[in-house]
Amino acid sequence: MITVNCPVCGAEGDETDFHYGGQAHVRRPATTDAANVTDEEQRDYLFIRHNPKGLHFERWRCDRGCGKWFHAARDTVSLDFKAYYGITELPPDEIIAQAKGPWADYFKERMKAKK
Amino acid sequence: MADLHFESALAHRIAPDTTSISIREISERGMIDLRGNTADKKFMSAAKSALGVELPKAPRTSTTFGDVQVLWLSTDQWLILTGRARVTALLGDLRKSLGTIFSLAVDVSDMRSIIRLEGDGVRETLMKGSTLDLISEDYAPGTVRRMRFAEIAALLHVVEQNMIDIYVFRSYADYAWEFLMKAARKGSEVKLFPNS
Ligand SMILES: [Zn+2]
Repeated sequence: MITVNCPVCGAEGDETDFHYGGQAHVRRPATTDAANVTDEEQRDYLFIRHNPKGLHFERWRCDRGCGKWFHAARDTVSLDFKAYYGITELPPDEIIAQAKGPWADYFKERMKAKK
Repeated sequence: MADLHFESALAHRIAPDTTSISIREISERGMIDLRGNTADKKFMSAAKSALGVELPKAPRTSTTFGDVQVLWLSTDQWLILTGRARVTALLGDLRKSLGTIFSLAVDVSDMRSIIRLEGDGVRETLMKGSTLDLISEDYAPGTVRRMRFAEIAALLHVVEQNMIDIYVFRSYADYAWEFLMKAARKGSEVKLFPNS
């Protein structure tokens, strides 16, 4: 059993009170440039997900609480939640700094785009 | 259009004498679902002027003014309870007061069934179908919480220390009733602490 805390309403419960919403920060390529989406981009958007051992980023919904979606950083080995953050936000800087592999690459891209 | 009349989903059920706590349906309450933005001062004051009471902003709380009760459902959603006969008038007042403010108010009186549990051991009985720690001080009278109860969506309202209302969607009412009959059967009481 994992214990989840909703950052929106503060509800605490086990995972049956919440709903797992898949990998975080998946972006639909057609949203930015609908005319030029390659097959590879569309395939990656629909099917290709990270499967890291360790720090991972996910979407969760406070299913039986306030009903809102939020983001969470979770360790897939210890199952510990490392941080919760808003559904339109990026993780806290100190968590981004711990990201490895494809996640580290992803956040590097996002931070570059922000500047 | 034919006149609409209310018929309880639990009308065929009789109050049991086989349970260790009292279980009965509350069917005389009407309900209004209200949604709006708490950051919008105009919305908050328009709602207050129609209801006579402030919308609770704090999660899992409720407020009462006379016959009107407001339960917090989400950061932008409330369930307003009043006598069934008063719903249409109150909804009218609410809509008039809200006017063009971005919001939504709908009569949902027949959407949910309310089951009232009363007596020693209500919390322990409900915990048979929930992972929540209902005996903790988080669940003081006035507390409202949406929860997963007996695998279905439910809304819990702690009315008094030993009186709890459970709201379930109408189509689940029969199932919830059946579950409660078994969970509360005499002789199946759970003592969480041997000396309590
Ligand atoms: Zn929540």
